[in-house]
Amino acid sequence: MRARFALLPALAGALLLVAATVHAEPLAPHQPYVQGSLGLRASHVADSGYDPFSDSDDLLQVSVGLGATLLRHQRLSLAAVGFWDYGEKSSSARGSLTSLDVHRLSVGPELRYHLLPRLYFFAHALPAFAHSSASIEDGVAQVTRYARHWSYGLDGAAGAAFEVYGARTGSIRPRLWAIAEGGYGYLGSTPLQMSPDPGQGPQRPEAVDLGSLSLAGAYLRVSAAVGF
Amino acid sequence: MCSALALGCGGRPSSWDTAFTPAKGQDGLAPAYGLTASVAVLDTQLGRVTMLGSPSALRLESHSVALGTDLAAARVSADRKTLFALSRGVQPQRSPDDERPQLLLIDGQSTLQAARSYTLTEPMNQLVLDPQNEWAVVYGSAGVVVNLNELVLVNLAQAGSEALSFKTLLSFGGSPKRFTFTAPLAVPGGQPRRFLIVERDSDLVLIDLSQPDREAVTVPLPSTDAGTTASSAQVVYDADTASIAVRVTGTTSVFMLQLAAPALDGQEYSVVTNLVDVGGLPAAIDFVHNTQGLRLVALVGSSAVLVDPDTATTQAVQMPAAFTGIRRITNELNPAAMPVADGDVALLYGPNITKIAYFNLSGAPGALFRSIEPYEIGVSVKNVIDVPGEAYFDHKILETPNQQFYVLDLHTRESAPMKTSGALTLEVAPDGQRVWAYNPGQPGFASVDFAKLHPVSLIAERQVSQVFDIEGASGQRTAVALHLAQGTTLGIGATVLDALSPSTANARFYSGLELGGLP
Repeated sequence: MRARFALLPALAGALLLVAATVHAEPLAPHQPYVQGSLGLRASHVADSGYDPFSDSDDLLQVSVGLGATLLRHQRLSLAAVGFWDYGEKSSSARGSLTSLDVHRLSVGPELRYHLLPRLYFFAHALPAFAHSSASIEDGVAQVTRYARHWSYGLDGAAGAAFEVYGARTGSIRPRLWAIAEGGYGYLGSTPLQMSPDPGQGPQRPEAVDLGSLSLAGAYLRVSAAVGF
Repeated sequence: MCSALALGCGGRPSSWDTAFTPAKGQDGLAPAYGLTASVAVLDTQLGRVTMLGSPSALRLESHSVALGTDLAAARVSADRKTLFALSRGVQPQRSPDDERPQLLLIDGQSTLQAARSYTLTEPMNQLVLDPQNEWAVVYGSAGVVVNLNELVLVNLAQAGSEALSFKTLLSFGGSPKRFTFTAPLAVPGGQPRRFLIVERDSDLVLIDLSQPDREAVTVPLPSTDAGTTASSAQVVYDADTASIAVRVTGTTSVFMLQLAAPALDGQEYSVVTNLVDVGGLPAAIDFVHNTQGLRLVALVGSSAVLVDPDTATTQAVQMPAAFTGIRRITNELNPAAMPVADGDVALLYGPNITKIAYFNLSGAPGALFRSIEPYEIGVSVKNVIDVPGEAYFDHKILETPNQQFYVLDLHTRESAPMKTSGALTLEVAPDGQRVWAYNPGQPGFASVDFAKLHPVSLIAERQVSQVFDIEGASGQRTAVALHLAQGTTLGIGATVLDALSPSTANARFYSGLELGGLP
């Protein structure tokens, strides 16, 4: 462990040296005005309320992002970014088919630091809104029961982006970025009172109580982005 | 993906992947048990029972109680307040922490939680409960070497290992078949004491429950009239005289046992036996009192043979039909429970006779032929069901082999026939106010209130597996019609109604109860 910490200053020094040697390349063209991304978000959902809907604790979502740089100051820049993540899981609970659809929208500021023109690090804290739709096929009642809820939270993450394709100088041609980030997404719990849609199933059905569901957990997101 | 991104994927408890399957009535396990204030639904795949209680009108709450690994038997106490669950535990044992065999008691009256457990040393398969809720017997071990005649007597008034008495019955061959817990028998020379009578292939064993560790008394049964080995078919007793009678297969004689004062040093009591020929193969026996004292009644063909236990003299009374069942109803007709002075009254019935009869033993011995009053009811009776409680203790439900049942008022001697549209299962409410009738697998069920004898037919929205009548937390009566299967789909659902005013117009439907309480 001590050796691992000793490597960190050395790595930082090497990166600064590289930065110094390439500073001649102009930075501004590499600070994207707008950036669109497409990727995958993998979350670790440890909450027991997730168990009826998934054999494992992972939740994979397609992730679409959009960002625009608002301020620039030398290597630092401030952008507004937003993501829409969508994923679904299906499983069975004691023989009853279950499914869970999750939409997650997060919007907020992102602080970027260009260590190199083609490499920047970033961190963001994004207020998040999620809509989940859980369902279970109730074989005894012969009806599908649902629990649909909004929940709110915050995504905090840090990551890095590397420009894998783009001109060295100021050009409006698109630049292709590979982005990876990791963080923690917090979302509040929502009740899993599973009820059929109105008019469906037996008269006066009582809800099936599956507890509550929190989709909070650590996550990783990898994306490919196009920036201008 | 998640492993590539170094996220721990994790799993979920295997219980989510374990489908619910109701018990099928085999191996001594029923799908569900009705208790006074709850319904217990076995969930053997998860080793638990789902307890359903009613906190308020039309409300149903569920929670699960762990039963122990490998459930062997479950029984409800006679007062319907406690569920007994016998489990084998982890077998074979591989670790000191492996769960041991146990007898678990679950309170079905108030807490709906496990109230007590008794740890056993060996796995057992069979469970018998004392109607007075003082004792339980477990037996039928399942080890590599099995002692067929080992009983574990559990004194339910005690806790822990002190409650257990391990008893091996001396055997002339055979194993326990049936058990009878007696009331306190007035054995001469001692305090009244309760006995456990164990019927085996060719003998009886008497266990003094006041001293369960003392050696039991084994009494061989007489041979059949053909000289072959006989077995017991019925055991009855009279507590006041400490008399026991046994109906033995293949013989026209009734085997009488009298518990008497000790005859030898070291004895607590002695057993005096006698064989009394009743002139034919008896179909049923019971002790009754007539104006001259205690008599044993044996139903032999079209005769009721009265046997004087003291003198072994017999008196035959012609019956209007060959009744094969007898039930004393004296207490039902005598609510003050006064000592019998004039004689008992018994109800006679049979599964092949479309009559019932009242056998009044208060008449003069010479006029007993006039003491049997037959009533033509048009259907035969296979079983007589008691009505609990104080309001309608003088009612009996006559269960017939076909799609009818009768509600019989013993005082007025009026019977109310109830015809159903399908096979019939009856569930008498524990408060003794009504009976529920249903046909498992069909959506229809009905309630018959004893006050008005008015049937209320109900059609549930799903197939009904069983119907129970429980007391809610606020004192209300709640009917629970269980739905455990819809075609091939299995789960725990219920239609919940007001038992006092049942109507599907305001019933509530519950399902997914098998999903509650999973880790």
